[in-house]
Amino acid sequence: MKNALKFAQALMAMLAIVLAMVSVPGDARTAKAGIPTVLLPIASSPLVTFRIQFRAGAADDPAGKKGLTRLTASMLTDGGTTKHSYEEMTALFYPMASSVRAVVDKDVTTFTGTTHIDNLDKFLDLFTQILLEPRFDAHDFDRLKTSQSNYLSKTLRGGNDEELGKQTLGVCMYAGHAYGSPNEGLVSNVDAITVDDVKAHYQKMFTRDNVTIGLAGGYPKNLVDRVSKSLERLPAGAPGHPARPAPHEISGLEILAVEKEGRSTAISMGYPLDVTRADPDFYALMVANSHLGEHRTMNGVLMNRMREVRGLNYGDYSYIEHFVQDGGSTFPITNIARSEQYFSIWIRPVQPQHRQFALRLALWELDRMVRDGLTQEEFDEARSFVKNYSRLWAQDQGRRLGYLMDSRFYGIDDFLGTLPAKLDALTRDQVNAAIKKHLRSDRLCVAVVTKGADAFLNDVTNNTPSPMAYDAEGIPQDVIDQDKIISVFPLNVNKTASKVVPVSEMFQ
Amino acid sequence: MSLTAWCQERVTVISAAAGILAVGLVFSPGGARAKDVFPFPVTTRTLDNGLRVVMVPFDSPGIATYYTIVRTGSRNEVEPGKSGFAHFFEHMMFRGTDRFSSDAFNALYRKLGSDPNAYTSDDVTVYNTLAPRDGLEQVIDIESDRFMNLKYSESDFKQESKAVLGEYNKNNSDPENRLYEKVRATAYTTHTYRHTTMGFIEDIEDMPNQYEYSREFFSRYYTPGNCVVLIVGDFDVEGTYKLIQKYYGPWKSPNNPAPVPAEPEQTAARSAQITWDNATLPYVCVSFKIPAFDARTKDTASLDLLASLLFDETSPLYQELVIRDQKVEELSVYAPFRRDPGLFMIFAKVKDPAQLDAVRERIYQTAEAAAKTPVDARRLTDVKSNVKYSFAMSLNTARAVTANLTQFIGLTGDPAMINEMYRHYDEVKPEDLMRVAGTYLTRARSTEVTLTGGGTQ
Repeated sequence: MKNALKFAQALMAMLAIVLAMVSVPGDARTAKAGIPTVLLPIASSPLVTFRIQFRAGAADDPAGKKGLTRLTASMLTDGGTTKHSYEEMTALFYPMASSVRAVVDKDVTTFTGTTHIDNLDKFLDLFTQILLEPRFDAHDFDRLKTSQSNYLSKTLRGGNDEELGKQTLGVCMYAGHAYGSPNEGLVSNVDAITVDDVKAHYQKMFTRDNVTIGLAGGYPKNLVDRVSKSLERLPAGAPGHPARPAPHEISGLEILAVEKEGRSTAISMGYPLDVTRADPDFYALMVANSHLGEHRTMNGVLMNRMREVRGLNYGDYSYIEHFVQDGGSTFPITNIARSEQYFSIWIRPVQPQHRQFALRLALWELDRMVRDGLTQEEFDEARSFVKNYSRLWAQDQGRRLGYLMDSRFYGIDDFLGTLPAKLDALTRDQVNAAIKKHLRSDRLCVAVVTKGADAFLNDVTNNTPSPMAYDAEGIPQDVIDQDKIISVFPLNVNKTASKVVPVSEMFQ
Repeated sequence: MSLTAWCQERVTVISAAAGILAVGLVFSPGGARAKDVFPFPVTTRTLDNGLRVVMVPFDSPGIATYYTIVRTGSRNEVEPGKSGFAHFFEHMMFRGTDRFSSDAFNALYRKLGSDPNAYTSDDVTVYNTLAPRDGLEQVIDIESDRFMNLKYSESDFKQESKAVLGEYNKNNSDPENRLYEKVRATAYTTHTYRHTTMGFIEDIEDMPNQYEYSREFFSRYYTPGNCVVLIVGDFDVEGTYKLIQKYYGPWKSPNNPAPVPAEPEQTAARSAQITWDNATLPYVCVSFKIPAFDARTKDTASLDLLASLLFDETSPLYQELVIRDQKVEELSVYAPFRRDPGLFMIFAKVKDPAQLDAVRERIYQTAEAAAKTPVDARRLTDVKSNVKYSFAMSLNTARAVTANLTQFIGLTGDPAMINEMYRHYDEVKPEDLMRVAGTYLTRARSTEVTLTGGGTQ
């Protein structure tokens, strides 16, 4: 019964996890001469979460080798170590129900994993092998490189239109900029990467002077030192992060329309935003954005007016920073912090006959908010919602640690911990001033994935009216009246900066 | 890129392949009967009208999950032309009542800082939210009201049907969804598992004309005897139960379910092919008919363990096809628990169309060999260990605990089945695995579907 008893005790210990998480503040510290750490000790937790973050991302990919950071990270997590092949590593992790995954974004790459305290030593041994002793085997390299290339040329081009639309928006907003291709890179670039490129990139970017250690949970006190000492064996050197040129100035509506076979039309639009969590205006924009289009809730104006009232599609949301949904939740993943952010609107697929109207409606609502701001009641509701809703964003220690590490990235105190006070201090005037200063509806990139892209571009360029028709009776008169205005809402398309691209040429 | 995300309907999935392993097992030496695996106290009560209430105190200071599980899903869409209706109706449940319009409903939850949502699967429709401790009565009030007094206009109904069509459209650009639809439509001739939870597109397009039927659907399935309220977190059990009695007590709708047609026994292999208009790697799915979920026998636990042993990333077949020979980019298995006989599906995303036949044959050979050769004892131990730690690591939030319970309540109506089920995991022996492989993973019970790209990209 020894195993059963130990296991039952571990389960009962979990009862206190959430309580501990609420009461234990994050502890971001930098050792005098060591590797920076972000620590979230929770003595009662039977789990230990690791987040080892490198200041290396897709934006660091050299010209002609876009996708190199992603492939390097995959070679670490899915390519075995000098001691164990990938098959052996998988078999060793499996009984622990653990694994190590790499989240790669533009500016950071984070290796994450959680283990039960029972298995801490075994897990730590495997985790450090992954970071310190990558195998760089040619056979594994072929497998992972082919998979990454196939993702771009087959999955992204031929599958989910929504993801294709979002990645197309990135291409449009950041043309010529280090953020201008998917994190997985470009097909021709990935195909040109060699295993020597990966080895050199690892030596240059995944270094002890470029890493932060994040730990959370019921770990023993000496774990911090153990991990730090291990990671001292990482390659030496600091790669540096030279200043990047700003993204191009957007003029009018710059349309990038992807011609693709399909039943519906996916639309994403946005522009680079000169605000991050480090900027006081970010918190005012959080309130404005929640009012306009809080992700996957019924609260936003866009969701209400586009889906609920008009039945145009499944959902419509807006964002003031890069957002990736965490699995089946409605919350964002952490550790995708960026030094440069963007504003965006995501219109989920609409029927092709409504694509122009949907674009106009979203811009019209954005324009209205920019012009009129929020009423006091709208401000109060949105602020109250964000304040309460944000309590749900860190219900487990992994997410809490992720937010703490992101706070360190932005150079701010605990983002979630300080958020309520920052929201409380806001006024409606501050929010409306931030809207006026940072949001706009006349200069955006618009990414569209649709069949008949030429006709679409022609219609929007010529400002062809797009009247809305409903199958249902009983549509409120004010909606019908509004539709008439929206159907001719001017679209200031920048003709020379707009184009149609066959899907087969995207991300090449 | 995971194949196991397919069954996502609205927010989450109760039993994707990973979810199956997210519940656990207490080991006991020599296979002796272990104590209950679920470590938290469960209080289950039934109101006079038949509504069951399951309450689980859990340390999540200030908040509790509040789930209403309707034991109706796309399985209950028995009339021709009505596929997808359970999911559609899930959408309508957010359209308000005389007391709380949809705007008032949203405003209340906005004020509470909560995120009410719902999902539908083959067997259940689940309404979920988080309730602050001091707002629990408001949640009980507004939730009970919409289950008793839902009211919507025909115009609202038609508009919402467009949102459902939009949901179908967003999913439709993924070849994996198309493959999944075809597998089910081929594997079943009679049972309602023939269609996915989204439903057939022709039925979705006809939804605006089904207003009258929607009222019938509501009266047929949204009854106290067909629902379970599940609360997990920081709340007072006795005080909360009194509130439940107060607000749900007047609910008097009688149970009136329509019978679900049984699928005839399959006696010969079936197959289908589809072409995808855009670029894609080719896929093959080999599926086998397996029995309905049953926590009282070892078959369900044995098949679940077999799925991991034969086809997950530590399996010999995965090592051969994905790692060593690199013929396959992704290999995955999805064998969800279902109230009626379901499918044990193996999906392979193949790199070269010329290899499709060889890969498919290796899947069959692996299944057939499992009936003749005992599984390696070490691997069986490792899989059981994986199940154990997956469960331990999945109980870290009130929502995660709720998700574990919801699956078993949806399948059986009884939260205690979680303990019954995991006793059987502990008891599974190599000979049990050989028996279920030989009984269920046979060519006569199989359906195979291939998808190949028509695009030139």
